[in-house]
Amino acid sequence: MSRLVIAPLLVVLGTAVLTLALGRRPQLQRATSVAGVVGYVAAVSVAVWTFVLAPAAPGAATYQVGDWPAPFGITLVLDGLSAFMLTIAAAVGLASMLFAVRYVTPENQRVYYHPLFHLLLVGVTGAFLTGDLFNLFVWFEVMLIVSYVFVAFYGTDYATAASFRYLVLNLFGSALMLVAVGGLYATTGTLNMADMARRLANPAAYGVDPAPVVGLSALLLAVFALKAGLVPFQFWVPAAYTAAPPPITAMFAGVTKKVGMYAVVRLYFTVFAGVPVSVDLAGSLGASPLAFLAPVLAAMGIASILVGGFGAVGQDRLEGVFAYSSVGQVGFIALPIAVAAAADPTGSLRGVAIAAALVFALHHALVKGLLFLSSAAVQDATGTDSLRDLGGVAGHSPVLSGAVFVALLSLIGLPPLTGFFGKFLAFDTAVRGLAVDLGVLSTLALVALLLGAVLTILYATRVWVDGFWGPETPAVETSTVDQGQVAVLVALAAAVVLVGVGFDPVYRFAETAASAAIDTEAYVDVVGLDGGGGA
Amino acid sequence: MSVALAVAVGGLFAVGTFLLLRRDLVRVVFGLAVVSQATFVYLIAMGGVAEGARELVPVLDTHGGGVPEIADPVVQALVLTAIVISFGTTALALVLSYRAYEENETIDVTEWVR
Repeated sequence: MSRLVIAPLLVVLGTAVLTLALGRRPQLQRATSVAGVVGYVAAVSVAVWTFVLAPAAPGAATYQVGDWPAPFGITLVLDGLSAFMLTIAAAVGLASMLFAVRYVTPENQRVYYHPLFHLLLVGVTGAFLTGDLFNLFVWFEVMLIVSYVFVAFYGTDYATAASFRYLVLNLFGSALMLVAVGGLYATTGTLNMADMARRLANPAAYGVDPAPVVGLSALLLAVFALKAGLVPFQFWVPAAYTAAPPPITAMFAGVTKKVGMYAVVRLYFTVFAGVPVSVDLAGSLGASPLAFLAPVLAAMGIASILVGGFGAVGQDRLEGVFAYSSVGQVGFIALPIAVAAAADPTGSLRGVAIAAALVFALHHALVKGLLFLSSAAVQDATGTDSLRDLGGVAGHSPVLSGAVFVALLSLIGLPPLTGFFGKFLAFDTAVRGLAVDLGVLSTLALVALLLGAVLTILYATRVWVDGFWGPETPAVETSTVDQGQVAVLVALAAAVVLVGVGFDPVYRFAETAASAAIDTEAYVDVVGLDGGGGA
Repeated sequence: MSVALAVAVGGLFAVGTFLLLRRDLVRVVFGLAVVSQATFVYLIAMGGVAEGARELVPVLDTHGGGVPEIADPVVQALVLTAIVISFGTTALALVLSYRAYEENETIDVTEWVR
């Protein structure tokens, strides 16, 4: 029990209220907003260091909101997995905010940009920290209602249409999630994830019938896949990503997408992994709902890689290329998770595979954040991000182009950048996955990974050759790049290089996160279910 | 009782889905509202609505004998929260549909240019 766990949440919530109150003082509002994000980064760093990374750290900590004992109150849990995801959110959030201050026009910043940004962080942070299933739904809604406004932010016909479609899809998804949450409550008699895991691991002792959990978890998987933009739920991604302000698109791709993948890992591996129920689906036999997750998520991941890759090759706007690329890259996160689900629960492969997915998530957050911000900088300078009108940016603004070059190389997967380790570990788990019982899907997964890697090279090369090499086009010749924006891009590019060069501690962090994700007993212990006499 | 609730939930979901698939933007918003209502009824049903036996209320059944026999308060709290959220999002959806109408000059989504 520690108050430090809730600190990141309080910082951003406080900043959201403050920036809302300071709407009439734009400069003060901006300063408060930046200070709030810096405070958020500090709070996350201190909390993560104290509870997870420090040499004598306990590994996890909880905060019981309102001092109601678990499982009756809402428990916030900061364990390795949450810590890893919060670190990603803090890194991308800081870059996005610093860039937005220089990029979004002052008039637009006054239109609720800052309060909304902090509320987005509130939703994301809450979703990563909460240990309560219904509370997870609430944080999703906080995150989504802000996202709707951000997609519609520019108020054009395109943006309002994109936002409306995004809203309808996600509201239907929320209804499905409520159905799943209600069903799980009726089945297990609890909403606390640790309590649920404990009851489901030993259903006979608690008088729980575990059979409905498979179907209800499938409903949850559909909702989380919708949030993560996995095929077949990817169709909202390109429109929403191109309509939202680019710094927010960096947040969408880097952070809110990852919330969906985080929820899959948290619920399936921490909560549902121990449910003794036999599943027989498309040749995937198993004794827990993970046997259902493995083939379904593998199929979704393979389809995402292909749809995203081919879609990105066909786009002629920078933002469009990167939006489709995001769909593909989420597939690279989903496939290792699918292999982890198929792996033997007692072996080491499960932890390795989840660590691979987490490393890829970190890589994608940094690189895709950098790319979306770069395309915004290019568009801000030249007035266009269409590959047809761009050319010769490399000669005109070498520093900006250098940052893009680093990001594209990392996206392709060249050592020693983050993308190399992301791709390497994804391939590594896929090859090891050949040994586990994924049937024909493991071969398909390997083929899809290879094809996805080739397609990545194809569209990254196309972006570089069409947009940045060659003679300067009229739009580029007359452009001036904002130095403040470039500074943020260079810092992010440096982060991509540094994380790649000093990869060892990062990987150990990912391993800690992965072992926290699969160690249900430790999770139950740290939540400390002593409410109601521990019954 | 549970049959009546099942019929109500099923009926509401059917009507909501039908409305969601309309071309008219306002009907789509109504469809969302109806689907949300369906989940609320479903949530209440999940708390057990048959006459007051302890075994039917998950939170009473699973958390010791020291609690009085009452209707399940958890699902009611959930539904209250969900109603507030649904109210907010429905209001936003109505505003957005009006903005989308202003920008696209039609509420028929098939006639939207993009």
